[in-house]
Amino acid sequence: MRPEGWVPVEQRWLGLDRRTIPPALVVIGLWLVMVIVPASLNQAVEYDDEVVAGDVMQLGARVTFVPTPGWGIEEGLRASDATNSGEYPPDAKVVDGDVSLRVITAPFDGDAEALLDQIKETTDALNDEAGFHVVGDPVPFQTAAGEVGVIARYEATGSKGLLAALVFDGLGVEIIATGPQDTPTETVEDIARMIASVSFQGGGSA
Amino acid sequence: MSATMQELDATRRSALDVSGWGRSFRFFQPRNLAFWVYLYLVVNGVYVFSTGIAGGFGAFGQAIGLTAGVLVLYGAVLWWFTVHIDRYSSVSGKLIIAAFVWGGFAATWMMAANANTPILTLWSKWFGQAWVADWGPGATAPYTEELAKAAGLLLLFALAPRLIRTAYDGFIIGAFLGLGFQLIENILYSQNAAGSQFGANQIGATIQVLVVRTLTGLSGHILYSAIFGAGLIYFLGTPGEPRRRGRGLGLMLLSMVLHGIWDAQGGLFGSLAQWSFIVLPVIFIIIGVYVFKMTVPREREYMRKVMAPEVARGVITSEELDALSGDRKARKAYRKSGSSRRHAKNVMEASYDLADEIAEAGGTDTDRVEFARAEVIRLRES
Repeated sequence: MRPEGWVPVEQRWLGLDRRTIPPALVVIGLWLVMVIVPASLNQAVEYDDEVVAGDVMQLGARVTFVPTPGWGIEEGLRASDATNSGEYPPDAKVVDGDVSLRVITAPFDGDAEALLDQIKETTDALNDEAGFHVVGDPVPFQTAAGEVGVIARYEATGSKGLLAALVFDGLGVEIIATGPQDTPTETVEDIARMIASVSFQGGGSA
Repeated sequence: MSATMQELDATRRSALDVSGWGRSFRFFQPRNLAFWVYLYLVVNGVYVFSTGIAGGFGAFGQAIGLTAGVLVLYGAVLWWFTVHIDRYSSVSGKLIIAAFVWGGFAATWMMAANANTPILTLWSKWFGQAWVADWGPGATAPYTEELAKAAGLLLLFALAPRLIRTAYDGFIIGAFLGLGFQLIENILYSQNAAGSQFGANQIGATIQVLVVRTLTGLSGHILYSAIFGAGLIYFLGTPGEPRRRGRGLGLMLLSMVLHGIWDAQGGLFGSLAQWSFIVLPVIFIIIGVYVFKMTVPREREYMRKVMAPEVARGVITSEELDALSGDRKARKAYRKSGSSRRHAKNVMEASYDLADEIAEAGGTDTDRVEFARAEVIRLRES
């Protein structure tokens, strides 16, 4: 009687049981398709959602900012975008080539300085030496609507940026702008305008 | 004309052979290509998961620790439940563990995670962010995740073709694929939750996510892949389960549709999504029970064939055979029929033990089988 697991010689191919090859190949094929096809397609297709004059980004129910016309929207919804759920995601990201501006909102119990300290603690724990870190002392800034926040330099090896923090009535807003070392002055001014345009519906800053 | 003892024993041996009941699972099979594919994807999946958690541990260690603790308890409860419903020709423990590990590490980190993110991004490029907010997850995860889990069942089928024999086996193994996927994915969700409020309020944010995901877990991945697993076995057909392509395809599609409905609640139900969150798990479990009932009769038929000789031997009664190979009503009726429910329950449990021993012995009368018979008699007479 054949021992359990014995594969007769005539059923082998390159030492393997040929009956096991089809299902294994199906799984290998599925794995390769999942790993290669979506990523390749994604790389081949460019974003084509450009900001036009009058666009306002809506984050959650309470925060907006005005993106610069000509920048691309990679994440987030315009205030004019309607969803069936009626909800807006809490984050948004706009890009201009290698430069990006990301706005993140979430509940936070504290003031703008405490928020910046919290972000610094988290990024220091998550990022290695070459990654982004808050550097230097934060300085206060004011948005066009009069909200007061703090802003600091945000740097990584080969890149530079800014990180701003505001808190509105228990809601924290983190704004991260990053780009290459030689980011043009005009782009930096666009970033400054977008940060200054952050506004909150209802309540006041902490 | 009643069957002879020889005929009953022959029917028993045939049922054991066809159902695969009692066979042991040998994982290490170097001539089996499925073994190498399984090993490669699981080992790399464990590596990807570990580096991801290690990277976040410095910032979110509290949340990860809390999650791991909760998930061990939750996983133990769901593991017990799934083993409990596997009361007929029970699936090998090693096979169950292999399914869990595939679901937790290979299906997640080597397959679905690689596909989900770029597909969601593609949807946003093609249809816009608003469309993705409503439909993105529902148009992505149902096929990437269900196929990734089902790939595990296909490999295990190639590793254990004489053990995975019925749609019920596919249902049970699918459930454990889903359990592994759910538990390990929950760790990722908890890590994301821990970072969702800038890294502050880790415990509060994590608890919120854990509560929701544990309450909806049974009607989630566990259920989807249990249904898909049953469908895959119907589709493939085995000596123990005649091929039924239409039914199989239907169940696999059903699994993906249920998954899609869950993930697209915002798009489908709008502001009513707060209610669908409560109603859908109930509906899904009802559907899961229906599929379970669809697959279980064949298992009951095997139980009857395996245990019928014990009635002829006088070890169990025909009423006990009806209860062993019957549904919940039949078992309840049997327990009520005697003088003591506890006594009846003990005899039933001992009879299930005897069935397992007979299966492991391949229908021969080993010392363990004789002992298990003696236990049934002892408990009945006590």
